[in-house]
Amino acid sequence: MTRINQGTPVAQIVETLRNAEGYYITNTARDLSQSDFKNRILLHTDLMAAPARERAGYFSLEITGGASIHVDILRKQVNPFLKLRKLREAMPNTMFQTLCRGVNLFGYRPYPQNVIRFTVREFAKFVDVWRTFDFMNHVPNMLAVFEEVAKAGKLNEPCICFSTGPEHTDDFYVAKAGEIIEVTGRDIVLCIKNHGGLGTPTRIGQLVDSLKQKYPDIPLHYHGHNTDGNDLGRIIEAVKNGATIVDAADSAFTGFYGPPPILSVVQSLKEFGYVAEGLDEGAVIETSEVIRDERQYYDQFESQIKGFQPTVQIHKLPGGAMGSSLEQASKGGFLDKMPDILHKELPRVQKELGNYWSVTPGSQILWTTAVSNVIDGERYGNPSGDLKNLLLGKYGPFPFYKPDEWIYEKVLGDDWVTVLEEEGGVEEVENMDLALERYDLAEQLGVEPTDEQLILYLQHPNDAVEFLKFEEKYGRVYVLSPAVFFHKGGFDIGDKLAFRDHQGKEHMIEIGPSPVTDTGETSVYLTVDHHQSSFTFKPEVTLSEAGEAVLSKEEIIDLAKAGDVRSPFGGNIVEISADEGQEVLVGDRVAIMEAMKMQTPILCEMSGIVTAIFAKKGDALKPGDRILKIDQDE
Amino acid sequence: MKKKILVANRGEIAIRLIRAIQELGHAAVAVYETPDEMSRHIRIADEAILLGDGPRSDYLNIEKIIWAAKKTGAIAVHPGYGFLAENPFFAKACEMEDIIFIGPSSEIITNLGNKVTARKIMSDAGIPMVPGTPNLSQGKEGVEEALTFGSEYGYPVMLKATCGGGGRGIRRIENDQEMVGQIPMARSEALAAFNDDSVYLEKVVLNPKHVEVQILADSHGNTLHLGTRDCSIQRRNQKLVEIAPSMIEDQGLLDKICETAVQAAEASNYFNAGTVEFLLDSDFNYYFLEINTRVQVEHTVTEMITGIDIVRNQINLAFGNPLSFTQEDVKPRGHAIEVRINAEDPKNDFMPEGGKQVSVYRSTGGFGVRLDGFVYQGYVIPEVYDSLLVKLTVHGFTWDETVGRLRRCLQNFAIRGPKTTIPFYENIASEKDFLSGNFDTSYIDTHPHIFLYDEDSSEVGKLARLIAEIHYRKENPYAA
Repeated sequence: MTRINQGTPVAQIVETLRNAEGYYITNTARDLSQSDFKNRILLHTDLMAAPARERAGYFSLEITGGASIHVDILRKQVNPFLKLRKLREAMPNTMFQTLCRGVNLFGYRPYPQNVIRFTVREFAKFVDVWRTFDFMNHVPNMLAVFEEVAKAGKLNEPCICFSTGPEHTDDFYVAKAGEIIEVTGRDIVLCIKNHGGLGTPTRIGQLVDSLKQKYPDIPLHYHGHNTDGNDLGRIIEAVKNGATIVDAADSAFTGFYGPPPILSVVQSLKEFGYVAEGLDEGAVIETSEVIRDERQYYDQFESQIKGFQPTVQIHKLPGGAMGSSLEQASKGGFLDKMPDILHKELPRVQKELGNYWSVTPGSQILWTTAVSNVIDGERYGNPSGDLKNLLLGKYGPFPFYKPDEWIYEKVLGDDWVTVLEEEGGVEEVENMDLALERYDLAEQLGVEPTDEQLILYLQHPNDAVEFLKFEEKYGRVYVLSPAVFFHKGGFDIGDKLAFRDHQGKEHMIEIGPSPVTDTGETSVYLTVDHHQSSFTFKPEVTLSEAGEAVLSKEEIIDLAKAGDVRSPFGGNIVEISADEGQEVLVGDRVAIMEAMKMQTPILCEMSGIVTAIFAKKGDALKPGDRILKIDQDE
Repeated sequence: MKKKILVANRGEIAIRLIRAIQELGHAAVAVYETPDEMSRHIRIADEAILLGDGPRSDYLNIEKIIWAAKKTGAIAVHPGYGFLAENPFFAKACEMEDIIFIGPSSEIITNLGNKVTARKIMSDAGIPMVPGTPNLSQGKEGVEEALTFGSEYGYPVMLKATCGGGGRGIRRIENDQEMVGQIPMARSEALAAFNDDSVYLEKVVLNPKHVEVQILADSHGNTLHLGTRDCSIQRRNQKLVEIAPSMIEDQGLLDKICETAVQAAEASNYFNAGTVEFLLDSDFNYYFLEINTRVQVEHTVTEMITGIDIVRNQINLAFGNPLSFTQEDVKPRGHAIEVRINAEDPKNDFMPEGGKQVSVYRSTGGFGVRLDGFVYQGYVIPEVYDSLLVKLTVHGFTWDETVGRLRRCLQNFAIRGPKTTIPFYENIASEKDFLSGNFDTSYIDTHPHIFLYDEDSSEVGKLARLIAEIHYRKENPYAA
């Protein structure tokens, strides 16, 4: 029973893994949160789980990276660095693992080299294991991360993204692994990233075997999703064929799209004589007992559609995108079209676009294109900017074959050959002037930012500033339980909310009455540590601050038909596609908006001339905010 | 017999005086201006009388105060500190109207209030003085006198308004050129502020300690002292932190300073409570600075270590009673520290937070803790009066214990609404020179890091705001 403690040198970690008789488990808490709870599991819950998880003796706890950095600041209002600090205090011996999207870091688009290196350096102070992937399996896209991780003395875990289909052969993946090892050296862990939970157990067993045959000294980490309910089978085959580490999660929170329960893995593999190295089963059970009651407060973030989705083998959506895709379908009112989108259009688009790996940001391109193809009726009629970039090769070369020419023509226009010649190729993102960015942030915050604040700003400029201002105003809110933080419908008078603040002090807030004055203001009375406080809310602030649409969805559509184009949802302007004075026709794209990972074109509902533009690139709009005005051509 | 005593002041000192008056079995009469009509001192007093709309002007109006005393039948007036406390005309007016002025006579206030007269009395009595000039002559002649003094004693020197006090009307002069330029400005400023353009010079004692001695004198020829205080931690000559006794280890020197203070009081025929202030240089020479003829803000630290109620004694002495104890009965024990918790932003040059409301006020308590406050939950920081919320005085057996208590007490406070000086004091209470009792008047300038702190170190108020919002909006708008 060899437990690997945080702080162990990389060479020694890899050596221990090479000599391991049993297998190790990574508690994939972050991926569970992302796949089954829209990334909302709060630090509060992770801190509750921390003592038992620390004793459980995992290879690592995957607790940061992926979309979590963005959601931490956008929806959980917690600083991702503070989160790692607090967890480190509670879990000194457990290695922390991240999921990094190579050049796309924790976002959706390539970052400049200096931003990548700066970001990795700062996070590497807390993160011991770096699982890095590229959705095109284009190794150069991961180089900068590999180098900075190695420099920081932390463990590189490069991924080969896995998918199924005639091109996805063992030979291809073995060669890809060779390409990676050539640049990283052999003191790594190699990850088979099965983000969709694709393939049969036998298929995974074969792949692991082929890789082990070729690289017997490289420890393999199998990462999967339980979307089809069969990841346990794949894990068993992976370990039987030589994988050294596998991913699983705490049973109290396991759902349909994330990893399967740890205990099920351990119990099943025991039958075959495999021992989970360093693992304290009692502590694994205890973790779930400690956090089980918290799950009810996350109910609103669980999938709209309950049950496993064995059809993932057809549509191949990654587990991490299932929740957000279904949410988008639900909010967009096209849940009824999901069978068409998932089972017909997505596989078709997937094949047409080169059968690459459906994972961020590539999965969003496939999804958005499929949705647009079905909803708008015209296939590839409203291509997103990201789809254009994909065809231009900005993300990297297509791994197996290029899309058909008609798609290029549809997406890039009639002169697509010229466009491809002039603009094609892997995007070289110019380095940013970090001193200037720091200055800009200081201007917005009114104080000199720390390196960590600057990094958050470089990832998500608008959202980071909003978050830092939030933190200044409301404090460090991770101390609030999900029962309070996600509470809906208002509290009852007399409810007592007890919590311990960031400094560790105990507090009690009791809910008092909320009378409304003649002028319409509401005063909320709270008894804070036995002393009464009141907070006054003006009615007009309610609408804008709560982010609720002043206009209904129908009203927004009606206005658009009259030429008053407004934001149909909350999101950022990626592009204003029309100029003032330009003539536009119904169906023309006038803007692109983005919410979370999804880009949505804003289409003209009335022909005419653009007479005023109210929003610009980068603006964060609320539903009903003005974008531009079209007047009838006279 | 129950007597009525009028408290001619507002704020925490009014409450302090009312408490002593009531403890003696007398009745306290409060006065107030309209902006103070919600203030605590009115509620605590036995009766209260409106002076006018003010602001400030009615608290400074001698005629109105005398009117109020007569109207309410008060036989005595306590002026507190500030406002009319050291105005000899007020003391004189009381004397004329047969109202007992709780403090020294108008003559003593006049003599000691005039810096030059005071210096003459003290130097005649052999009290060590900082080298200085008499009032400078008017015009060119005065400038010549000043330049001669500058060349004789060397720069820097202090140019002081003869009638100034409390840190006002003082300028530091670094060279001849500044001297020539500053004298006319100092004169016009003094004329505007004190209605007297007299100025004089004093040599600057570099980075001195500010040590003062509390004096009590009865009308039967007895004068005694209640030991020393150190008020070295100042900014621009305004005291911030006061302690008792002085941290100087040489007890012989402290005894000598106290004896000198008694001599100084006797030389001026002092009566009632007063404070003799000294500067102590790095070679342990001490110089007379001035005598304050009032109860001081920092009197609480002396009360804590001696157990003697200074205000109670002031009243008794004013009524003609002899001191009820001797010098031998005064046995200071332990250490005391007082800090003035103000609604001010130390980072912004101690800018007062006038107009802001205290939405949450929680104070401290426990062993060795004393609060002299005016603030309450809901209190609005006045824009027209001072921004003092509460004075915190802690007492401990040892210095370490006392500083630890100060730190603990500061952490106990929860004040929401205005910025306060609490985090600034917390930094001082954790600073190593302060912990070792090693500080002089340069302390604030030489320890700039005490200004570095998080604005709001306690987070419960911020979190309460979010909870209020989650409650009001029926969901968390920042988590949707």
